[in-house]
Amino acid sequence: MKNYTISLIASLSALLTLSSATVFALPPDHAERMTKGLELFRSDVAGILKENCLKCHGGDKVKGDFDLATREGLLLGGSEGAALKPFVASESMMLKMIRHEVEPHMPERKPKLADNQIAKVAAWIDLGAPYDAPLVAGKVVKDKSQVTDEDRKWWAFVPLAKPAPPTGGHPVDSFLNAKAAEKKLTFSPEADRRTLIRRAALDLTGLPPTPEQVEAFLADQSPDAWEKVVDALLASPRYGERWARHWLDVARFAESSGFEHDYDRPHAFHYRDFVIRAANADMPFDEFAKWQIAGDEFAPGNTEALMATGFLGAGVFPTQITANEVERTRYDAMDDMLATTSSAFLGLTVGCARCHDHKFDPIPAKDYYQMLTTFTNTVRSNVELELDPAKAARELADREEGKKKLNAELKSYEADDLKQIFDKWLASDEAGVPRSAWQLLDVTDITSKGGATFTKQDDGSWLASGENPGDDVHTLIASTTARHITGLKLEALSHGSFPHKGPGRADNGNFALSRIKVSAVPLKGGPERELKLASAEATHEQNKAELSVASSIDEDAKTGWAVDSGGIGKDQAAAFTFAEPLDVEGGVKLIVKLEFHVNTAHCIGRPRLSLSTDGPPKLKGDATPAAIASLDSKLREHAVLSEAERQTLFDWWKLRDAGWSERNSRLAEYDKKSTKSKTPVLVCAEGYNPLVMHSQGPPFLEKTHILKRGDPNQKQAEATQGFLQVLGGESGIERWKWTPPEGAKYTGQRRTFANWMTDTDKGGGMLMARVTVNRIWQQHFGRGIVATSNDFGKTGALPTHAELLEWLSGELIRGGWKTKSIHRLLLTSAAYRQSSVADAKKAAADPENTLFMRRLPRRLDAEVIRDSALAVAGELDTTMFGAGTLDENSKRRSIYFTVKRSQLVNSMVVFDAPEPLVSQGSRPTTTVSPQALLLMNSQHIRAWSMAFARRLQHDPAAAAKDDFSSLISRAYAIALCRAPSATEIHAAKAFINSGLAAGPEQALADFCQVLISTNEFAYLN
Amino acid sequence: MITRRHILHRAGAGFGWIALQSMLSRAGFAAPQMNPLAPRAGHFPGKAKSVIWLFMNGGPSHVDTWDYKPELQKRDGQAMPGFDPKTGFFPDAAGGLMKSPFTFAQYGQSGTWGSSLFPKLAQQVDKMAFIHSCFTDSNNHSPALFMMNTGTTRMGHPSVGSWVTYGLGSESEDLPSFIVMSDPKNRGLPKGNASNWTAGFLPGVYQGTWLKPQGEPIANLKRPAEVTDKRQREQLDFLATLNREQMAGSAVENELAARINSFELAYRMQTAAPDAFDVNREPEYIRKQYGLDQPHCSHMALQCLTARRLVERGVRFVQIYSGGMENQQSWDGHADLVGNHTGFAAEVDQPFAALLADLEQRGLLKDTLVVCAGEFGRLPISQKGEKPGRDHNPHAFTAWLAGAGIKPGVHHGATDDVGFKAVVDRVSVHDFHATLLHLMGVDHEKLTFRYSGLDQRLTGVEPSKIVKEILS
Repeated sequence: MKNYTISLIASLSALLTLSSATVFALPPDHAERMTKGLELFRSDVAGILKENCLKCHGGDKVKGDFDLATREGLLLGGSEGAALKPFVASESMMLKMIRHEVEPHMPERKPKLADNQIAKVAAWIDLGAPYDAPLVAGKVVKDKSQVTDEDRKWWAFVPLAKPAPPTGGHPVDSFLNAKAAEKKLTFSPEADRRTLIRRAALDLTGLPPTPEQVEAFLADQSPDAWEKVVDALLASPRYGERWARHWLDVARFAESSGFEHDYDRPHAFHYRDFVIRAANADMPFDEFAKWQIAGDEFAPGNTEALMATGFLGAGVFPTQITANEVERTRYDAMDDMLATTSSAFLGLTVGCARCHDHKFDPIPAKDYYQMLTTFTNTVRSNVELELDPAKAARELADREEGKKKLNAELKSYEADDLKQIFDKWLASDEAGVPRSAWQLLDVTDITSKGGATFTKQDDGSWLASGENPGDDVHTLIASTTARHITGLKLEALSHGSFPHKGPGRADNGNFALSRIKVSAVPLKGGPERELKLASAEATHEQNKAELSVASSIDEDAKTGWAVDSGGIGKDQAAAFTFAEPLDVEGGVKLIVKLEFHVNTAHCIGRPRLSLSTDGPPKLKGDATPAAIASLDSKLREHAVLSEAERQTLFDWWKLRDAGWSERNSRLAEYDKKSTKSKTPVLVCAEGYNPLVMHSQGPPFLEKTHILKRGDPNQKQAEATQGFLQVLGGESGIERWKWTPPEGAKYTGQRRTFANWMTDTDKGGGMLMARVTVNRIWQQHFGRGIVATSNDFGKTGALPTHAELLEWLSGELIRGGWKTKSIHRLLLTSAAYRQSSVADAKKAAADPENTLFMRRLPRRLDAEVIRDSALAVAGELDTTMFGAGTLDENSKRRSIYFTVKRSQLVNSMVVFDAPEPLVSQGSRPTTTVSPQALLLMNSQHIRAWSMAFARRLQHDPAAAAKDDFSSLISRAYAIALCRAPSATEIHAAKAFINSGLAAGPEQALADFCQVLISTNEFAYLN
Repeated sequence: MITRRHILHRAGAGFGWIALQSMLSRAGFAAPQMNPLAPRAGHFPGKAKSVIWLFMNGGPSHVDTWDYKPELQKRDGQAMPGFDPKTGFFPDAAGGLMKSPFTFAQYGQSGTWGSSLFPKLAQQVDKMAFIHSCFTDSNNHSPALFMMNTGTTRMGHPSVGSWVTYGLGSESEDLPSFIVMSDPKNRGLPKGNASNWTAGFLPGVYQGTWLKPQGEPIANLKRPAEVTDKRQREQLDFLATLNREQMAGSAVENELAARINSFELAYRMQTAAPDAFDVNREPEYIRKQYGLDQPHCSHMALQCLTARRLVERGVRFVQIYSGGMENQQSWDGHADLVGNHTGFAAEVDQPFAALLADLEQRGLLKDTLVVCAGEFGRLPISQKGEKPGRDHNPHAFTAWLAGAGIKPGVHHGATDDVGFKAVVDRVSVHDFHATLLHLMGVDHEKLTFRYSGLDQRLTGVEPSKIVKEILS
């Protein structure tokens, strides 16, 4: 599709400016043609277009992004590309569509135009397709790739206003009252103290207050009793656990990758813990934002800051990526980072600009791609972090001490007891080297056809590094004087430098050996001879067919030995039996060729060879080094050994001594166990080892391009970093640019972006403040001042109280971005403390409560319902932090459930916990029967009801158990923070009594279960 | 005091309800009173009340099932000129053209060509309409599954069943409206797992209910052992008493009433759902007809018979998967095409044939739409190996439809000579979805939901067309 943008500057003697390389020549007679064309337009074509096309393309709607109301719009074309080429009707898509030559046929779902009408349109195009006036009077086509001053006037983009509260008193109330006065509404009366403390506790901590907390508040006559309650709740560690959950919705947080296999991200929970700690510590929100985008660049070496970047990496990512999906997948991943960041901090649907300039907000596609470059090199990595350096240092010292002790023990045993046993053995009849063991083959040379490099290891293996060719042959050379060689063992050893530790170098740690060829050249001279391999066995085979070890000695280069499905990360070995034993006097040079053609880049990473010289080779058995094997005869004859021989022999022999092994393994065990002071953490940053999926391409692309229609196959210019033109980005990025120090492994682009985003003067900071206070308001008042908390653009809702929002945003910034002060501000208002009792007059005057002159009860979130049930049952385990679980039997708070995308926890999902796929600014509330089924039948609810019943039975405050009255009252105090009415006591007694046949505990549990199931328990009043 | 009748009348939803009502009105539906699942009329009268979607997971080979290619026979073993090896999943294993290892014959009045894989289903071809020119956007399972189920290759958009339930509500009061049965033979879920039946950005109430193949099919359907039916009834009555006491004068009375009602529905579902799932209530001859007595296909027979019992009870959308997650555990015949397809075809042949025959004999076929397709097709060339297979082909696959609103025995569209690409009357997945919605009385351009600043649609922003040629 040709790509040109044309703007008509003067109508008839049209001067055409072209913005891209495709230029078409104007016909020499274009002025005359345009004059004729204009006549035709007036007489016929305008009518035809109005009648048949305009409704869908510029009138009522703009389908396919094509608006022909103006000539500019006509020439801009639509989502299918250019609609026409002026002066060349035959090359015009629009004409082909109305001629029904290409699909979709136009006009859609209507009869074809009459032939003479089509002919007139064609002629008009050939005459240059001029307009005398727009088809819709006064319409001007806006070039959405340009941001104008008009665009900057949208309320969310202008600098923060600094309104003063209209009257004295609490500023929040003052703003709300001023607006409500227009409708002559005033606040509802203050709720009673029981309701208030329950409301604040559930809001701030997600748990109901205990009866003792309620009583203390009721008894507190001091004027600041309420402030004390709010402060205590804000200071509770439970606060962070509740408010982190809101942010995790926004951050689309989960601990698995989604897509095909939904692989676990077992180290992702650190991000959740970071969010909880940040909330509890009242971390300034701007810093909270900066760390999540570029913690590694803002605070190098700070483990919390690095954990924070888990935000960027929390999105979905496929685990199986074919070659032609590599680019699209990477753009998707970057889009996920940018779109989530924009929704979460700026309340903008920037992702819409991926395929075209944003239809509603002033976000050109160019801005999108310029911002996208921020994440060009950003990838997920599991990084080993020292989470508690002081503790680690202490442990290291202890460890060294312990190691020294164990080492000394071993050495003293070797020097003393062991020497004696060794001498005894040398003198005994048992002296000798056991046969049938493998002899390690000293490979002296190894080469890779594809250019991999090898380094010899102490254990006789060779470690591959560098190039990992798609297709390769390794040639290993070794000489041996061994006689009667019956077979060859090939070990494929694992190593920390391989993906998943190998043993192969493929992305998944696998290898695929298509063929092994062994040939021998006598050392004394003679021709090279290939040795036939008769059979093979292996420690592990991926399958028994095309990936079996047998298929590595067949002729098919497309089949071969591989070890996935259980063999990854472990040492593997295969033993090959020669068809005939190799027995050459004077020894041979062995040439072993390992071929890898089965799958791309599937080579063995650390090969080692050994020989068997005794009987049919068995896979099991350690290799005996050649130097030891050669001592066999000397040993049997008790010949004198040289000191060097004696030492070599001793070092080999001691491994067989039980006493030595035990001491040695104690040392090794200790060493292994204690080196694990570091903790792997999932981060999303630059310069760390990327987490690799089954991909046929690299983990990230070198460059980010501007894509036409979001399609990686339609690359345009390379994008360079830039920010939203509508939020200060029009004059470049210099103001925010941060250049990392020499040698840093990051580019500084994310820090630069975060500097812009949090800049309250010229960048996104003012908008971020608005979005942030609005989120807090939304949770406390049931709806935001802007009802669409993730969309502050033109498709979002307008603020109901613009000045209040401006003032609160200013407060947040002035208070150093501390959010706890905002909570305190909101909760101390009269607005928050209103009663939720129905008021028909107000409901009629303001049905959606946009004026906040009353409170509407609302259903609690899934986590709060479950945590509250656990709490009232006395079963809640308040252990904080660490790995989560999918086990619904867990008694920890719900925020510690592992969020596995394919196995979302039922009790959460049923009560509307969102799917963590994209940023969620608010949750829907549904009322459906699976919720009821859960409360009626789930074994957990039942178990907690039983626990609640037992708690009541043992509660001294529920002492008079005869007629259950005090027990019922206690249950109400615990579960609903209030005393039951006489009717309730009466009904409850009758209900408990009717179930006594099953025993008092069961009857009581039945009652407790009903209490947990009531509307009141599940609602915030 | 609110009466029971009054409460039932205002069945179930919560705070998002006003928003949802406005979305539904925007999308051209008469907004229902209170219940997000209340049945509602479509944009126009649709022929299909229910859909049974037979999902051939893994991508069956069209050229070995319903898209007969004599040319492949002739050019067997020859290279395919201009073939881009990146088309499939294993670029290194691309072989030459490979004829179908199965024999083809013509069946029915329509003379439909079918392979020897489906001897019983072949007797039903005159009920079916075939689209031979389907194509999709990805050559990889989970994106292609998402495409087929949600209209995009990305994760997290609402599935077709969710869109349909959002638009039309549920005809059943005591069963979920959108039910999914995955392959029950311990083969795992389709790739992408529950995202294939997610409600995405639609309210969660429209999400597909996955029936667990083992154990309790729906969570919490069974009372705790120590609670008798009588006692539970007493619990619910007592609960209603307390709730009414607390509800008096509440500002959200309707919402709270809905909650009371949800417990009554739940109570009824406890008997209705097990009843619907209990195929032992079917007569012997029906069970035999589906193949419940045949070990090789009894699992699919159970799914198909259950599906019929569900649509009979008003369930709107039922999806059945044949095949699980990994290669060879599904129709993903990379290696040993013959073994793979023979095995899976044998599992579905009789149950599918019985389903069509049974729906017809009960008069249910006239308002039940049966759909059968995979997520893509397979290449006409071989995938080399000890036993050859075929690799993924996003450019062509065949879907068949039967029942409500479908013109029987027709063939629409065509692939090229060897079945590599759809070339005549190409049908995109969006076209396919648009057609399906049309059959249910829903205009795919009007079925929208405002999310992330856009009126989202199942069929995306590009124009799609309804495949009129297969409509009766």
